[in-house]
Amino acid sequence: MTTIAETAPAAQEPSEPKEPGRWKGGLLTFLLILPASFWYFVLLLVPLAIVVIFSFGTRAPNGGYAPDFTFKNYIDAIQAPDPFFVSLRLAFLGTLLCVFVGLPFAYFLATRAGNRKGLLILLIVIPFWTSFLIRAYAWLTILGPRFLADWIGSITGIEDFRILGSEAAILVGIVYGYLPLMIFPLFVSLERMDRSLVEASKDLGAGRWATFRQITFPIALPGIITGSILVFIPLMGEYVIPAILGYGRVYLVGNALVTDFLDARNWPGGSAQAVGLILVMFLTITFYMWTLNRGRKTRQMNVL
Amino acid sequence: MDDLNRLLSKPVNRRSFLAAAGLTGAGAVLAACSSDGGGGGGGGGDVEDALYVYNWSDYINPDNIDKFKEEFGVNEFVYDIFANNEELLAKLQGGASAYDIACPTAEYVPAMREGGFLQKLDLARLPNLQYINDTFKGLAWDPTDEYQVPKDYGTTGLLYRSKLVTEPLTSWKEFFELAKGPHSGKIVVVDSMGDVFTFPLKMLGYSLNSLDPDELEEARQILLELAPHVLALDSDLYGDKLASEEATIALAWTGPLVELRASEETADAAWVNPSEGTLFWLDVWCMLADAPHPNASYAFLDFIHRPEIQGDETNYNGYATPNDAAKDFVDPEILADPAIFPSEEVIAKLEGAEDTSSNNQRIEIWEEFKSKVGS
Amino acid sequence: MSSPAIPAETTVAASGQGRTRGSRFDVDRLVDLGFRGQATLVYLFLYLPILVVVIFSFNANSLATIWTGFDMKWYGVALSDPVVHRALQNSFIVAIFTATIATTIGTMAALGLQRVPRGIRVVYDALTYVSIIIPEIVIALATLVFFAQTFDLLNPILSGTGVKLNFGHPTIIAAHVLFNLSLVLLLVRARLSGMDRTQVEASYDLYATPWRTFRQVTLPALLPAIVAGFLLAFTFSFDDYVITSFVSGPGSSTLPLFIFGQIKRGVTPETNAVATMILLFTIGILLFGQLLLAWTARRRGGSGDSMAAIVAQQR
Repeated sequence: MTTIAETAPAAQEPSEPKEPGRWKGGLLTFLLILPASFWYFVLLLVPLAIVVIFSFGTRAPNGGYAPDFTFKNYIDAIQAPDPFFVSLRLAFLGTLLCVFVGLPFAYFLATRAGNRKGLLILLIVIPFWTSFLIRAYAWLTILGPRFLADWIGSITGIEDFRILGSEAAILVGIVYGYLPLMIFPLFVSLERMDRSLVEASKDLGAGRWATFRQITFPIALPGIITGSILVFIPLMGEYVIPAILGYGRVYLVGNALVTDFLDARNWPGGSAQAVGLILVMFLTITFYMWTLNRGRKTRQMNVL
Repeated sequence: MDDLNRLLSKPVNRRSFLAAAGLTGAGAVLAACSSDGGGGGGGGGDVEDALYVYNWSDYINPDNIDKFKEEFGVNEFVYDIFANNEELLAKLQGGASAYDIACPTAEYVPAMREGGFLQKLDLARLPNLQYINDTFKGLAWDPTDEYQVPKDYGTTGLLYRSKLVTEPLTSWKEFFELAKGPHSGKIVVVDSMGDVFTFPLKMLGYSLNSLDPDELEEARQILLELAPHVLALDSDLYGDKLASEEATIALAWTGPLVELRASEETADAAWVNPSEGTLFWLDVWCMLADAPHPNASYAFLDFIHRPEIQGDETNYNGYATPNDAAKDFVDPEILADPAIFPSEEVIAKLEGAEDTSSNNQRIEIWEEFKSKVGS
Repeated sequence: MSSPAIPAETTVAASGQGRTRGSRFDVDRLVDLGFRGQATLVYLFLYLPILVVVIFSFNANSLATIWTGFDMKWYGVALSDPVVHRALQNSFIVAIFTATIATTIGTMAALGLQRVPRGIRVVYDALTYVSIIIPEIVIALATLVFFAQTFDLLNPILSGTGVKLNFGHPTIIAAHVLFNLSLVLLLVRARLSGMDRTQVEASYDLYATPWRTFRQVTLPALLPAIVAGFLLAFTFSFDDYVITSFVSGPGSSTLPLFIFGQIKRGVTPETNAVATMILLFTIGILLFGQLLLAWTARRRGGSGDSMAAIVAQQR
């Protein structure tokens, strides 16, 4: 179990032969990543291969998949790009909102919550143990014509003021549903922040803004990156929130996929759309990471 | 016994009925009254001690489950739930079938049969099917009646608040005019392709299963004309939207009607089967190809169509039964409700939905309609 | 939403007043108040719908969003519904196994990845991202097909042994672990990335064994990420619908399956009652845990309120 002995040097300079137990490092490393690798291979790569194979097939007479080799599904997928752009916009806005709400909150939790930290963190996830569907219905009540919408309407004098069915309602649902995925990585990054650094920065005469920019933000950055990825990506496949809070008036990539797979039972068509989505998203993330890392020290590049 | 039934199921609310039966033990009394009589049992083969049912939620009277378990010694009665036909079929097509009995809507039966997912039934082991009305036999979905056992049926139509819809509403044509005019923005439409196509096609006088490109093009124009006036596309909460008066008319099913009527505020809820004709759906029991407990399956399918058992099913779930003999055991109030048991005149104009999911034009129109709803 | 504004405004205030001790203290308090206020709002936002869920569990009618009157009957219905019992039990089994497996192998992999050549790390990054990108319905269907094919292949071989592979808890857990494994991996690696190496080195300089170093230095440092990962994994597994609905088998249906299914035949407050009972149960356990910790802490002479010790060990 020489685990950590080598983590530090291995991440920086490769050769330091004097460490104890170097000879079994290879085996241990292998054993450490074996279970996860197995999972990725069997339950990600193999199903992914199935999806790719499907995407070149045709719809069987009664739906499902029939073997074939055609690019028709990809051509069809490219021809209906509208839902993709609507999804992109909503996912972007939703992620941004999550950062705005999540960052100060995570900062508070990590640095100012004292020894109640554990309890406060648990309190974040407890609402999520109630089925999302039921909570979404609760939002229907809250935002609905008998409560918030009626109240805003009476204040502003707009008769028949409505929130539900709009993109605003969807964004409320998105922030509500995805916030923990932003808060947790932010918390994990910020929690290791040394308060003395901030104090030192202030003692050296740096303003709060400068301290935030030079100390807090760089420490939060890995969390922001991880959080954005965890929020942005699943959002692209979201279809329950727009169906409930958006009244089905917003048609996203997720909805298109469900229509293909379930309504039309066209597995090859849906698979081609999915493969396209995976490719585009993968390139986007790679580009995102690349731009972010360009500005940072190379040593940190192997972090994510 | 009829009286007891009526007493228990009033108001006609399957939930409170369940609560009353379950909590007060009245279910036991009921069970005692009705366990005698009935047709011959499953016949042939030892009944296994387990049965795996894959069904819509809350679609079997729990009292009947208890009676079945007791009578046939089936200790393990697994009742798993699916949320829609598409998922059920996708699951079967993906290769998962560890259940004995499933309950799809009949239009999915041909695909399931041709996919080899269903077992041919030995009708000799199901004597109680004699009570099924001839209307529900020899249907296109299963011409020889060897793969499906009819369970419940109903129609697609218009659910509305008569307090808020003062104009006449009896046909698809009137619905269309109201939707474009005074009730614009107050229309809910179920998120279900076949049901939505019923409206334009029937209004135009075509078959609701039409695959004719020109007819579908006409339907497309009408649907796109409707789309901007639609408040929501919603298969689950349209009842709530009517109750809150956010919506006034729903192109939907009868489901929430009973519930709406039960409450004073929304007692004006009404139902109409449009005069041009409409769609009828039929939920059916099917036995899956590699059912692990075939004898228990036969026993159950025959048991559930015993007239008094089937009557309690209808009293419980509030859907029309195709079993004629069972009507003697159905609450007269339910039996007299034209929204649940349609009149002969309406039945004459009903059309069953076929599986049209392979038609690209329909899919494209459907996607276009969905992306234009409310805008 | 107002976060970046707080530091910016206060900078102006601070520089305008000069940095005398008194005014600085006031600004600090103001900032602190701002953070507390925002946190309170976030909790309000998270719990407002829960409050509605609880209220509606007492609703007399069975519409999901329209209040008609007070009634307790749904608790009776939920408590006497065998389908609910089974679903709840299944949900707990699946979520606990998923979270434990995902957290363990995710943390192991995060540690292991520190020691491998860059090429392998890049491959792992790609796998992690793809596992998150792939839309749920797609991976659900593909996983179902994969399991079905494997079972068809293996079951004839196993037929002599009396073992018959089928869908059930193991298939659900296996499929859930995939997504959550990536979640844990990302969290732990984000934590590792900025870890202070000097402590590890110091530990070695003091001739501590590797295992001791791991337990006393690395593990405590990683604990927040590990606990966060466990909680998220548990939560997502507990509330998953799409994947579970595809890879479940007879008798392994979970609570979300019950709820989605029930909604199709008319929503009722029964689901709200179930949710409320889970909530009460959770909060009860939390309170009990708090009390227990406070009690043991007092007996040891430490300070009370040490729930924090579970999650965030101060270094």
